[in-house]
Amino acid sequence: MDHLSDSPPRRRSILVKFKEFFRPSGNIHEKRIRRRMRLVSQLNRRLPLIKIALFLVGYLWMLLLPAPDLGRTTYIDENALQPAQVNTEWSWADVHVADQYLAQLERVRDANYSSQQRAQWLNEEFGKLGLSSSTQSYSFTPGVSTQNGTNAYAIISAPRHSGTEAIVISASWLSRTGGGDGTLNLRGISTVLALAGFLKRHSYWGKDIVLVVSDGYLEGMQAWLGAYHGVSQAGLFAEPLKLTGGVIWTALNIDYPGHSFSHLGIFFEGLNGRLPNQDLLNSVDRISRYTGGVPVVLYDHLDPREDPSVNQPPSWLSAAIYDVPQVKSFLVQAKNIARHLRYQANGRGSGVHGLFHQFRIDAITLYAVPATGPHGFHAIGRIVESSLRTMNNLLERLHASFFFYILTGPQHFLKIGLYLPSAVLISVAIMFHGLSTWVDAGWVQETRQVAEKTASGEQETADQAIQWRRRQRPITGALCIMVATHIYGFFLLNVVSSTWFAHNHQLLSAAVFVIFSLLPLAALGIPQESRSDDAPIASILKAFNLCFTSTIISIITVINFALAASMAVLLGLPLIVSTPSPSLPLKLIKYAAYACLGLGWLIFAREETMRSLWYWEVLRVWFAPFVCIVYVPLVIQCGIACLL
Amino acid sequence: MLPVIANDDQHNLHAGPTADVVATNSTSSMSHGKVAARFSFKTILSGASPRDPATLDNEDQSQHYTFFPLALGQILRQYAVTELHLTLNAGNWNYDRWGYPQENGVGTGAELWAWMGEGDIKSVDERWRGLRNALAGLFCASLGSLDELRTTSPEQSFVPEGSLPNWETSHKVRHASLPSEHVCTENLTPFLKLLPCKSQSGIASLLNPHRLFDADWHGMGVHVLWREEEGVELRLTFQAVFDPLRSGSVKKQDWSLQSLFDRNIHRSCPVARTSQVVSTLPTDVAYSISPEPSSIEGNVAIFDVKSLVKPLDIKMEWANSFSYPLQYHPDSVPFSVKRTLRGSSQAWGQLSVVITNYRPSAVHALYLEIMPWLLQFLVHTLEAQVDGTVRDGIISNLTYVAPVPHSRPTTFQVLLTLPPQSTVHLTMDVTKAFLRYTEHPPDAQRGWDLPPAIFTPLELGMNNSAAALVKEGRIYTSALLVDLATPDFSMPYNVIIFTCSVIAFIFGNVFNLLTRRFVVVRLEDKKS
Repeated sequence: MDHLSDSPPRRRSILVKFKEFFRPSGNIHEKRIRRRMRLVSQLNRRLPLIKIALFLVGYLWMLLLPAPDLGRTTYIDENALQPAQVNTEWSWADVHVADQYLAQLERVRDANYSSQQRAQWLNEEFGKLGLSSSTQSYSFTPGVSTQNGTNAYAIISAPRHSGTEAIVISASWLSRTGGGDGTLNLRGISTVLALAGFLKRHSYWGKDIVLVVSDGYLEGMQAWLGAYHGVSQAGLFAEPLKLTGGVIWTALNIDYPGHSFSHLGIFFEGLNGRLPNQDLLNSVDRISRYTGGVPVVLYDHLDPREDPSVNQPPSWLSAAIYDVPQVKSFLVQAKNIARHLRYQANGRGSGVHGLFHQFRIDAITLYAVPATGPHGFHAIGRIVESSLRTMNNLLERLHASFFFYILTGPQHFLKIGLYLPSAVLISVAIMFHGLSTWVDAGWVQETRQVAEKTASGEQETADQAIQWRRRQRPITGALCIMVATHIYGFFLLNVVSSTWFAHNHQLLSAAVFVIFSLLPLAALGIPQESRSDDAPIASILKAFNLCFTSTIISIITVINFALAASMAVLLGLPLIVSTPSPSLPLKLIKYAAYACLGLGWLIFAREETMRSLWYWEVLRVWFAPFVCIVYVPLVIQCGIACLL
Repeated sequence: MLPVIANDDQHNLHAGPTADVVATNSTSSMSHGKVAARFSFKTILSGASPRDPATLDNEDQSQHYTFFPLALGQILRQYAVTELHLTLNAGNWNYDRWGYPQENGVGTGAELWAWMGEGDIKSVDERWRGLRNALAGLFCASLGSLDELRTTSPEQSFVPEGSLPNWETSHKVRHASLPSEHVCTENLTPFLKLLPCKSQSGIASLLNPHRLFDADWHGMGVHVLWREEEGVELRLTFQAVFDPLRSGSVKKQDWSLQSLFDRNIHRSCPVARTSQVVSTLPTDVAYSISPEPSSIEGNVAIFDVKSLVKPLDIKMEWANSFSYPLQYHPDSVPFSVKRTLRGSSQAWGQLSVVITNYRPSAVHALYLEIMPWLLQFLVHTLEAQVDGTVRDGIISNLTYVAPVPHSRPTTFQVLLTLPPQSTVHLTMDVTKAFLRYTEHPPDAQRGWDLPPAIFTPLELGMNNSAAALVKEGRIYTSALLVDLATPDFSMPYNVIIFTCSVIAFIFGNVFNLLTRRFVVVRLEDKKS
């Protein structure tokens, strides 16, 4: 009691406040409203700070994604898989068979077989093993060039099984080395042929095994998969498949371009930013290391921490700093993440396996990183055999583990919760800025000479006071401009994907750039607001533009994080800093800067543009339409807001 | 398909005044390096007749079984079954390479069909339910799942193989199939128990589960039918397709009983009347067969197990090594069928059936599709194309029983007229059902197995199709797997928590707005 009486006033005041909070006296409605107003005004006052903080945290977060301590090591989630738990039976006799197939394939290559003859040869080789096999010819006519080819495929029917499920082992004629520029994947195809004879010797397969040797790099597999699933596509003639199996659950694509290999590289990004279930990658990783004895790398990135041959500091970094383990790890992981984001953002995926994902098939490419040794057919055969056994164990589709992840290393990954917020924070900052622009547009500041009576009528405010007055915010004009820009984007897409543009894109891209940059200048002709009382159309347009951009970024984060992140980086600050200017030259300079940001790819990335269009027409990668219909209009809207 | 060797073996014995046992076994080898083996054990209950369902109320007349299995006999009497066919198969019968099977019922999984007389005391459906549950218990198979969701009455495709008694009431057929059922040792053991000599002697001693269940294809069947002049016939069959070349180390398709079954016949079954091994002989290549067959009829060698020296190991050897043909021309099958489900959407798809008629004349066939309600046909989109152009006159006599969601399956049957030497593409759009979450199986992400379609080649009567006769056996297509929209069952709690939160949030807000009293609050200026 003594202790309490020592500090009665302080204690009482706390108690009173406490009591007040839970059982308020007086008009509780008024109190609540006041509390809310206080909160809003506090937020309002600090909004610039909040926005800056959100931007900073967002960008910093992105920069820190490769931090070595972020994320965790991978693990197998699906218990049925049991990777690397079987004794493999692939022997040196099978390696010899693969070598013989390779010798024959080299003769096929040297004899300059047409793709038709090649597929027929493969068909016969499969047939000699007693397998059901067939060929499929196709022709793509995207824009200018026609691509013809013939795929060969065979099915090993699972004994004692209904064959309702299937696993695909594939090899494309062209290797992914150089993006399908002509390096042949002869050893990959030899592996598939040798595996065909090897796999049919066993009765434990619970799923049909479909062996596909696709022509070309990507187009052959696209035609084959389309025909397998009965999907037709404009500009593609694909012969229907004579043989079909069950529902394909998983697929392995073998890419073995060199003479030997040192590491097994894993490529996994699919079209339009889709990723395979992580269990598949993790299983192959475990199998490769424990069964095959082959170290695993992501892509073809050798790890400088393990491989002295690539342990060189970059030119811009001193060796002393580079040798700090954390720095080295950061650089390694940054390289992996950057490559991943590149594959994901432009939606092209990282190889033939990427085509499978559109049909809900988990697929990856096993890339034998070319080297002088020490591994060859023996290692890759065992890895594929053991991987097949693992996939054969599946009773359901791969559904455990992760579908959203960023691999920072072959055994290290970031969960969605660790990377998604970076882009979302930036998008929230953009949204806040847009909303505050919208609120600001509703008020006009004016100074009044005359004293004015307040509502109570008793007090008189001082003259010369700054007054805020509400004003109308007509949205029709701004919305019309936005719709018009998106239609303009659609028109742009039609122009650049047209045949005549494809024929003369070197000449025309500059012209298209100029025309499409000049078109929005028509906005200068929009009459300034008729009623001076209304908010200027520029600020309403800017508010809408920012809110729309933010919404798009937030949605895209889940579908394709890399694209959302690059949008956040490209559009975040530039869209926010736009301001209307009083003088026409300044307006035009600002607009020109935005036009370059929006349409600059027509001039500076002509080849990339054409390639993106090819991917859109042949493989339905929606990166090109997205840029034309969403990205360009957003930037142009901002430019128009500067013009008005 | 060219049968190269066949084995036929009959045991025969009279024991008891009313019961006869006839067991037949045949093994036959096909070309293309495979060996098809068929075991067939026939028991005839002389003079017996099926129970009339009108007498189900009365005490059943006493039955005297000697070789006819009591366990099965009781079931047949209790549910008054006239004709019963149960098959349990694993794998896909490859008609294009293996030709017609000797036993017709080769559909993947379990298939049960029965003809029963109608009766007032117990309806056909009641007895059907009892029958499948009793058989499930007898054969350790999930036949209890052949419930109303899968049961249909396709009378034209499943005509009785024996005769039907001339009772006052008519007979009804019930058919159900379960493609995901798998046959294994636990089904073979009760199967062997039904044989008079079990697997102790005779040809049944070759039924070695280690070898049978390692074959490319295997299946067992139980067939009960009534022949008016003979009695009730029980035929137990086991078929398997072996691949002597599978190991890859040998290049010749040689086989022997020892190599196929890892067993010889040490003694014959004493109660069998006849016991034979029948082997088809190759026609155009050099071979040797040992021991000397008891008799040769055409290109079929017959070995009489009772008279030949034991242990009996029949061997067949080829002079030359084997190479796979690059073209396969099935002579015995009138047409080949490929059925696929296209489209990767979880809401709709397209059923595509490609039928190639190899014969120089038009072929008629009944196409029967018994589909669980999970897949609903849009029959108006049914289309037949030949070489890419829509052709009339291929589809006729369409019978369609629409599905009832959550209960009855679809029965879809058409009569096809397949033009000579051409390929017919049948397509039909389908919608995929959206299931209640309790209807998903434990392995929800696997998808749903759909039963095979059944084609029955027909011989049409003179200028009308009413007198259609079943010409050859049924042809089963492969089973299908369909992906339906599936919730994420791996994290049910997350789903429940998220859903509940959203509902609570919406409900809270709406409730708040509906019950709130709105008042005007005057805010006095703070400065005052």
